[in-house]
Amino acid sequence: MFFHIVLERNMQLHPRYFGRNLRDNLVSKLMKDVEGTCSGRHGFVVAVTGIENIGKGLIRDGTGFVTFPVKYQCVVFRPFKGEILEAVVTMVNKMGFFAEAGPVQIFVSNHLIPDDMEFQSGDIPNYTTSDGSVKIQKDSEVRLKIIGTRVDATEIFCIGTIKDDFLGVINDPTTV
Amino acid sequence: MSFATDSPSPLHSSSSDDFATFLDTALDSNSPSHQDEIQNQDDDDDDDDNAQSVRIKRHKVESIEETEASTSEGTVKQNLVVAEESVEVDVCSHPGSFGNMCIRCGQKLDGESGVTLSYIHKDLRLHDQEISRLRSTDMKDLLRHKKLNLVLDLDHTLLNSTMLMDLNSEEGHLTTETDSLEDVSKGSLFKLHHIHMMTKLRPFVRTFLKEASKMFEMYIYTMGDRPYALEMAKLLDPGGEYFNSKVISRDDGTQKHQKGLDVLLGQESAVLILDDTENAWMKHKDNLILMERYNFFASSCRQFGFNCKSLAELKSDESEPDGALAKILEVLKQVHSRFFDELQEDLAGRDVRQVLKTVRSEVLSGCVLVFSRIVHSALPSLRKMSQQMGAICLTELDPSVTHVVATDVGTEKSRWAVKEGKFLVHPRWIEATNYFWEKQPEENFIVKKKE
Repeated sequence: MFFHIVLERNMQLHPRYFGRNLRDNLVSKLMKDVEGTCSGRHGFVVAVTGIENIGKGLIRDGTGFVTFPVKYQCVVFRPFKGEILEAVVTMVNKMGFFAEAGPVQIFVSNHLIPDDMEFQSGDIPNYTTSDGSVKIQKDSEVRLKIIGTRVDATEIFCIGTIKDDFLGVINDPTTV
Repeated sequence: MSFATDSPSPLHSSSSDDFATFLDTALDSNSPSHQDEIQNQDDDDDDDDNAQSVRIKRHKVESIEETEASTSEGTVKQNLVVAEESVEVDVCSHPGSFGNMCIRCGQKLDGESGVTLSYIHKDLRLHDQEISRLRSTDMKDLLRHKKLNLVLDLDHTLLNSTMLMDLNSEEGHLTTETDSLEDVSKGSLFKLHHIHMMTKLRPFVRTFLKEASKMFEMYIYTMGDRPYALEMAKLLDPGGEYFNSKVISRDDGTQKHQKGLDVLLGQESAVLILDDTENAWMKHKDNLILMERYNFFASSCRQFGFNCKSLAELKSDESEPDGALAKILEVLKQVHSRFFDELQEDLAGRDVRQVLKTVRSEVLSGCVLVFSRIVHSALPSLRKMSQQMGAICLTELDPSVTHVVATDVGTEKSRWAVKEGKFLVHPRWIEATNYFWEKQPEENFIVKKKE
């Protein structure tokens, strides 16, 4: 799920950035620093959308660096248990398949793939229904339900299932 | 268990009686669908004119529930809830984990147990039961496609690599002869700047992989580290057709300095291994086809204590049509066809290790060997090797003897062999035969006179 929230961060800035463009420099450094990172609490920071407030800078003794407390608005992405996500399949093997939804890695084990889908090995390993109408392989797009999440400092792992109504392949790369 | 007392006559069809009848049937059948009906009935009743009496009735029912707590809608519901919960708990045996979550129910799991399959994903672990389940389904799948598993070693089996700095002056010519990395499918000698290595693929390897992929599901299992293994897989299999997520490196094994089939999702009875190092596979010698080492670079010759010139120094290479890989491919074909076409047993009961043993035992069948003045330490392994290949080893001379194995022409047995017109061969004849799975021409292994 996506959220638009306000976060705060202490930014350390090198003295060479001081001057007319101080604010711009601070903002671009903030974007570089936080976009794409992950925090256990909030999930992945997708984009910084605005600056709420930049506090007073504090000069560090000895180094000349200045620390600014910055409050900023950003869009974060965090998967939840029970959430329905759309993801792209990255790897298919006997145990199931791995899929990615942006920065989130999801594993769907073969216990949670409908029973009528069977693993087919070969050049392109895939799960196919007995009549061959539905096929999951690398780069397929699937809709899945999250049944477990673990949010680390830098990564988010999820367990997903497609063994439920209205879940499964939504776009097959071979038919495009 | 009935509310018959509360609903004296079945003919009396007030909604309250309906409700009680419903309860009765619901309780008797104990099925959740009836539960829903009861629920619906409840809702309907509320809108009824008789709502009041129903409420009283229900109140009664509830009080019975509370006091007796034996047979009532609530208890049934409770039972069902409990049952559902216990089903969930019981059914999920946590077959494995991904990032410390069960791959089946998503529950967080403590502790690390099971086998890590880090070559597939660094956070994936599976329990033994799950692995054996996967193995048996895999086996069915393989047999249906008439395939077996084949585990391939990299270094000295499929290719030879050396650090760039270990190249000596006589090999300097190689640096100008490397093939382009843009289309690796055509070349065989590559300079990999980013990992400071030069790699030479063994002649015939591309044909070998192509042919073998028709009969086998192939894995790479190397003692090299992961980045190296992946780099080599890219050279061998630029299209990603053969080794898709089946590259196992040193970092993925479960035991140090050993290779094991425990991380492999294939039944041991359907796995063949190609490797040049027997000691790496202590537990799986029966699956192993030992390969003659491919030493292209001088540094790897030195590593194994050979003082001869390397192939690179001699500007030569293994023969493409008669090299080790071509010979072994024939053996693989033979084993494969026997496994699927000749065995009488039920497919699932077949064991490739037995087939391998049989094929091996036919290599020297009919040969009767006598060893003469062989260094004691080497004798047991030579004897074992020849016996595995089906030869009979005698200790004393006998008219049935066909070969005398010696390093010296001067011994009594050697002289006997010459006199009787028997083959007098060097022990290397046995080794070569062992590598090529084919009786080697004896005239290439004549024992020379010592000067």
